[in-house]
Amino acid sequence: MNWRLSCILACWLPLAAHAVEVDPVPSVMWAFYHKQLLADAPFVFDARVKLLAPPFAEDARQVPLEIDARAFKGHVVRILAWAELNPLPKIVDFQPKEGVLPWLALRIRIEQATPLRAAVLTDDGIWHVGSALIDAAGGGCTAPSVVRSQPGWEEHLGEVLGGRYPRGEFSRVRVQVAHPMDNGLVSGIPEFFINHGQLRGQDDQVLAELELFPAVSENPNLAFDIEAPGPTRLVLRDNSGNEFDAAIP
Amino acid sequence: MTQPARRQPFALSVLLGAILLSGQAMAAVSDQDILQDPKNPGQIVTNGLGVQGQRYSPLDTLNVDNVKDLRPVWAFSFGGEKQRGQQAQPMVKDGVMYLTGSYSRVFAVDARTGKKLWQYDARLPDDIRPCCDVINRGVALYGDLVFFGTLDAKLVALNKDTGKVVWSKRVADHKEGYSISAAPLVINGKLITGVAGGEFGVVGKIEAYDPKNGDLLWTRPTVEGHMGYVYKDGKAVENGISGGEAGKTWPGDLWKTGGAAPWLGGYYDPETNLLLFGTGNPAPWNSHLRPGDNLYSSSRLALNPDDGTIKWHFQSTPHDGWDYDGVNELVSFNYTEGGKEIKAAATADRNGFFYVLDRTNGKFIRGFPFVDKITWATGLDKNGRPIYNEASRPGAPGSEAKGTSVFVAPAFLGAKNWMPMAYNRDTGLFYVPSNEWGMDMWNEGIAYKKGAAFLGAGFTIKPLNEDYIGVLRAIDPVSGKEVWRHKNYAPLWGGVLTTKGNLVFTGTPEGFLQAFNAKTGEKVWEFQTGSGVLGSPITWDMDGEQYVSVVSGWGGAVPLWGGEVAKRIKDFNQGGMLWTFKLPKELVAKH
Repeated sequence: MNWRLSCILACWLPLAAHAVEVDPVPSVMWAFYHKQLLADAPFVFDARVKLLAPPFAEDARQVPLEIDARAFKGHVVRILAWAELNPLPKIVDFQPKEGVLPWLALRIRIEQATPLRAAVLTDDGIWHVGSALIDAAGGGCTAPSVVRSQPGWEEHLGEVLGGRYPRGEFSRVRVQVAHPMDNGLVSGIPEFFINHGQLRGQDDQVLAELELFPAVSENPNLAFDIEAPGPTRLVLRDNSGNEFDAAIP
Repeated sequence: MTQPARRQPFALSVLLGAILLSGQAMAAVSDQDILQDPKNPGQIVTNGLGVQGQRYSPLDTLNVDNVKDLRPVWAFSFGGEKQRGQQAQPMVKDGVMYLTGSYSRVFAVDARTGKKLWQYDARLPDDIRPCCDVINRGVALYGDLVFFGTLDAKLVALNKDTGKVVWSKRVADHKEGYSISAAPLVINGKLITGVAGGEFGVVGKIEAYDPKNGDLLWTRPTVEGHMGYVYKDGKAVENGISGGEAGKTWPGDLWKTGGAAPWLGGYYDPETNLLLFGTGNPAPWNSHLRPGDNLYSSSRLALNPDDGTIKWHFQSTPHDGWDYDGVNELVSFNYTEGGKEIKAAATADRNGFFYVLDRTNGKFIRGFPFVDKITWATGLDKNGRPIYNEASRPGAPGSEAKGTSVFVAPAFLGAKNWMPMAYNRDTGLFYVPSNEWGMDMWNEGIAYKKGAAFLGAGFTIKPLNEDYIGVLRAIDPVSGKEVWRHKNYAPLWGGVLTTKGNLVFTGTPEGFLQAFNAKTGEKVWEFQTGSGVLGSPITWDMDGEQYVSVVSGWGGAVPLWGGEVAKRIKDFNQGGMLWTFKLPKELVAKH
């Protein structure tokens, strides 16, 4: 297929060109999550939503995950990601606005080998679902925290390491936030995690809204691709009401 | 009841909002709701069943004659491994119960079924410094929010429907020894809290916050020499030094670590528009290190709720040397004497004396012992100041490691500790949970170190009687007479409730919730809850039936500090359970 033909197909029959009839990572949980998280809304399994994760989780507590929906640039309303066989499956609810690309990288916890999903809602009301399968030795959600065993971790709560990396037409902002992200599954330790974030650009213009869930790793790593001019602020809040404000020049 | 002046536009707008909403079933808690409590028998929206803290319910469906048919309808477990002392008083609003558990947990429970609606667990740091168990004494309700204080000295506002944090504010630094265990209160649109930490040489303070967003509105230190502030547009404006200036009643720099923590919170009297708070012991415990009265330690304070100004004070134990905190609740009540209505307030102090004050000006009306043995003072003078028995003050250590030890009664845990008494408007009596115990006490040298215990004293508690420590007493505040008493083997540590049904409820460490005839003291009902009852019971009306609730869960200060008392209580099991009882409709008709 030459380039011209593929473009015509893409324009005329976008679903037929990229949609897959069957679930690329067959899973007994798909119907359940389709109902629970997407409220049975129209969807397609869509290879244009790229979900990049290693085939095997070397460290089940820190699994890098990249969600790339740039194929739908300008049309993305919302991106929802989850790990189907995690005890707490939800990972992130990302709503990119003007000035930020529909792309997100972060690290997550995996309890066992599981299908991963990223559902991208476009402005035509259709969810485009990207999928990946990850193998794991397991235990990432219920293992004791590394952060908490470090004395004085409370002193460093909310400290942010970060930087901006120019990539031509946009720049990549990467941050790491000191936070235990306790998910409540370790006995005797209540859930304590960053649950809300907002990316802001110049004049405090909101670039993206972010809901985080306890499947996100402790000391969360987050990366965004930003077209808007800097500086960028990342305002975070945890479920205990602590607020953190990171500025990236 | 007259209403206080309302000068704040915010309070007014909330009031108007409440009026507009009054047609709806699920109304937000308004200033008016709070001031009316407990006149609306379907809800309990204040700690103390009314801002004055009388713990008196006007309900009489349940009474001395039918209380034997009071029966449990549901129980709710706090769960987890965090079964420590449970000291909360539940609140009830629109069929939902809000309460706290040990380790800074909050629960919302369906009041009809006991079904959990939500739970909030504060994430506490590892280095919290509570002196006396990881307890909490309850929430405040206002608008759509539920407020409570945490062991790491934060105020947290939760959404009443979801339990999610709306705002969180650090009141003080827990690393210095601050914590919060008392229920906050909301008066005229201001959320008011004290702090704990007198054992760590903190500076006590009472503060008001904006319930909407947690902005600090005013702060009032309770140690002489520290500046108070009001906050206007985020800016601190000086509002006078507590006590006028430093050094009047404290030597050297000790006022900088003076304690006097108002750790038990406070109440409000609408008739005089005064907040009534008590303050804790001066720091350190060794009194020889701080000659002077050490204001405002071991005192009762009346504050203007608008700006925190101290209107009057009454110090029950000047120059305290026995850890006789003056935090115990000052309960407003009126009585008639010589044809004249007296606006009084009463308090049963840790030091063993029961005080009746004129609450318009803090003047002493009368005081008398309410326990059998007091050795540290021989009585009170005409102003209510104690006449000390100097032989009962433990000696200064001098060059020795330990000063002379003396036996003194009451023990430092007090003739009455935190557990709130109740005032019955029909009998005119106060029902006081008291304890008969003494202690050996001695002083030691001590220097202040941030975040470390600042006592300079040692102690061992001893029971005074073989067969009982706890005594529930009915006390006539006018005659000073004890009308009846009921003894209990273990020390009493739970709050009291009284009702128009001629009933008095309280719990025991042995696990019983008990009801007494308010006039005679006859025990008329009891129920074994499975663990010690340290909470404060409530009663309310739901669907035409009268309910009673109390939390059960042994712990608190006694097992941690109890000395020789420990062997009386060592076999009591811990718990964490909310019990709810009712008198079924069909059984009311039978009587």
